[in-house]
Amino acid sequence: MSLSRETIVEGLKHILGADSVVTDERILRESSIDRFRMFEDIHGVYTQPIPAAVAMARSTEQVAGVLRFANEHGINVVARTGRTATEGGLETAVPDSVVLDGSGMNQIVVIDAYNMQATCQCGVPLQVLEDRVREQGLTTGHSPQSKPLAHMGGLTATRSIGQLSTLYGGIEDMIVGLEAVFPDGTVTRIKNVPRRAVGPDIRHVIIGNEGTLCYITEVTVKLFPYLPENNIFLGYTVDTMKTGFEVLREVMVNGYRPSVARLYDPADGAYHFAHFVPEGLSVLIFVAEGPAGIAKATAEGIEAIVARHPECRKVESRYISTWFADLNWGPDKIAREREGILQTGNINRTTEVSGDWGCINDIYENALRRIIEEIPDITMAGGHSSHSYINGTNMYFNYFYNVVDCGPEEEVTKYHTPINRIICEETLRHGGAIVHHHGLGKARTPWVKDEYGSSYYILEGLKRAFDPKGIMNKGTIIPA
Amino acid sequence: MNAMRILVRFKVTPDYEALREADWAAGEGDCSDRSGAAEADARAGSGVASGVETRYVPRILDCFDESALEMALRMRDATASDGVPVDLGAISVGGREVEPHLKTLQALGYERATRVHVDAGLDFAPTVTASIIARYVQETNKTDLLMLGCRNGPDDAGTLPFLVAEELGWPCVTQVTEVMVLSDDRVRVAHMVDDGLLRVTVRLPCVLGVGNAVVARLRVPTLTARLARREAHIEHVQTSDLGIDVVSGLAGESYVLTGLEVVRRDRSGTIIGGQTPREKAQTLFDSHLKSLMGKL
Ligand SMILES: Cc1cc2nc3c(=O)[nH]c(=O)nc-3n(C[C@H](O)[C@H](O)[C@H](O)COP(=O)(O)OP(=O)(O)OC[C@H]3O[C@@H](n4cnc5c(N)ncnc54)[C@H](O)[C@@H]3O)c2cc1C
Repeated sequence: MSLSRETIVEGLKHILGADSVVTDERILRESSIDRFRMFEDIHGVYTQPIPAAVAMARSTEQVAGVLRFANEHGINVVARTGRTATEGGLETAVPDSVVLDGSGMNQIVVIDAYNMQATCQCGVPLQVLEDRVREQGLTTGHSPQSKPLAHMGGLTATRSIGQLSTLYGGIEDMIVGLEAVFPDGTVTRIKNVPRRAVGPDIRHVIIGNEGTLCYITEVTVKLFPYLPENNIFLGYTVDTMKTGFEVLREVMVNGYRPSVARLYDPADGAYHFAHFVPEGLSVLIFVAEGPAGIAKATAEGIEAIVARHPECRKVESRYISTWFADLNWGPDKIAREREGILQTGNINRTTEVSGDWGCINDIYENALRRIIEEIPDITMAGGHSSHSYINGTNMYFNYFYNVVDCGPEEEVTKYHTPINRIICEETLRHGGAIVHHHGLGKARTPWVKDEYGSSYYILEGLKRAFDPKGIMNKGTIIPA
Repeated sequence: MNAMRILVRFKVTPDYEALREADWAAGEGDCSDRSGAAEADARAGSGVASGVETRYVPRILDCFDESALEMALRMRDATASDGVPVDLGAISVGGREVEPHLKTLQALGYERATRVHVDAGLDFAPTVTASIIARYVQETNKTDLLMLGCRNGPDDAGTLPFLVAEELGWPCVTQVTEVMVLSDDRVRVAHMVDDGLLRVTVRLPCVLGVGNAVVARLRVPTLTARLARREAHIEHVQTSDLGIDVVSGLAGESYVLTGLEVVRRDRSGTIIGGQTPREKAQTLFDSHLKSLMGKL
């Protein structure tokens, strides 16, 4: 028989101490969602089951204690750190869930400048880690736009990626080892080594699990020399996205690794570049970085490739460096965004997917055309590619709409889900992946079986093996 | 019933928040359209106001003007079904950077959209801007109510509403936070004064300087609305059409940017230690709040 809310709270207090169990009604309501239901939140409407408590863990032992308790009594646990999730991963889909918050586990354990790796607890904000390693002339190389807000646990749990990924990779390329706690309280540590061939790479059971298999308590990431003085910023206008994708492809295929390789379509680009780019043009952006010789060679290589495409015209590089310095989101931008949404009813949403070079332009064109044709009240629809690989790239659809003739609780079903459906359908039809870096959350689970195909067997197997009672973040990744 | 003809003047300004601290240096000024035009040359040669180099940051609608533009739309909406018809016009003095904003305003229902073309940035030149706006209003004779933001960015002293009103010989209310249409020649206006909010009824024509209003954001038109007004005409006016010589006007301006200084607002802080929130609250109370309460 399931426990009452009161008994759950008592049980948690017993494990964590009374001060670490939050039951304030307002906090609980706000803890039932993430940015996926931001429109409801801004209007003070909460449609998801309200959790029984927010449990603030301060150590791995406490995490293990809470998970063991939840597992024993069948209580749904939603792991949380920085709270920047965008896809419903933090929604408490089941009544009387426990939100297990690791933001208090915020110690940097060690910065090992000799072996070029840093270990920290899950609640360390990436910005804090980055600032600390920069004091030693180093960088994590990880730079998602949410860097000032997101924490290492959540960044690992979502398979996040930063703006410098084309050189440094996604979080999965940076993590060398980690510690995680499984629902029965088992604490597992994967040690920090340069590489191993001792069977499957089990780091990947943990990285990207979105709180559905285990709770990440500690991570160790690689470090790199920080050499901003060598950065070379390049920007070009280009007449069509098709040519833009072709330039990106040639840069990657020819072996160049700029840290930033981006392509903006005219609609998305107008939001950033209208002060120097004529209407209707797309924009290509590159940053070459690293040791001076490599940065120079990378920039020269890119210049030579671009020169083969006469429709590309160079823009002054200071436009690009100035723009790049103002990309990240801190609490100030979040507050301004909320105020704007409340006053205008206009909201910005995004959906990021990926595909190989052969299909990415088709995904882009078809999805965008359908969004504009099929969805009402759109005020802007566009996108950019921001993470490239030898075999393809991502597409980050960026769109705004006015929420009209419906209540806050209908925003997701009237607008966001239908747009996600179009993008996922087009991506699947062309053979791409329906999520590139935000995680599946709950928002895109309707398409997860089509995404995995026959390999869904492995995903289900993992869930059965590690979370047999299904207490970890119900409804996330695997549909409820 | 006569329509109330509202003209809103807006400015497109550099987004100063996107400027890096290192870029806050006196540069060549904000010349959005660097075509080597006479005004730009005059400005550089005159030694007037060589401003901060803002060329590299995006252009945004000034926030007070944005309020004014949305307020005017709401006045139109409020009277749409039964009240006084409202006819909306928008005007800006500037280069090509203004055009996308005029297109947006047309899609939102501004029937008239005007750009008075200047090549030089008119920062620190409120008398020139005021003359341009006043002369346009006089020449076209289509404005009952002129609305504009009280202050445009950090390079503005907030004198424009007064200067335009003076040239027009119209009354002027500034720091306006709300406006309501009463009849085709009267509006009810709330505006901030030193010790509070004052509500006054104003007979038109008049100039309203919009201040820190609750309505701060401009609504956003749908792609469909944009498409519908895609071919709408933007009126382009030359300063010479208005009989204004910007070159000599700028030479007469007395504002000069002599230097820039960062005002540091950092305050010292103490991190309160303690194992639990209760302990921390107790420390805060003992070390700080208790003494403050004693003073009450
Ligand atoms: C303005 C903005 C910009 C963004 N830019 C980027 C970007 O550039 N690149 C990018 O990849 N993402 C970006 N995101 C998405 C988001 O920042 C990332 O998904 C981030 O990784 C989430 O980290 P977090 O600490 O905030 O996690 P949370 O929001 O707390 O949680 C995210 C998910 O991970 C799970 N989780 C959290 N902590 C743990 C843990 N310790 N163990 C197990 N599971 C856990 C949660 O249950 C949830 O499903 C952006 C988001 C915002 C709001």
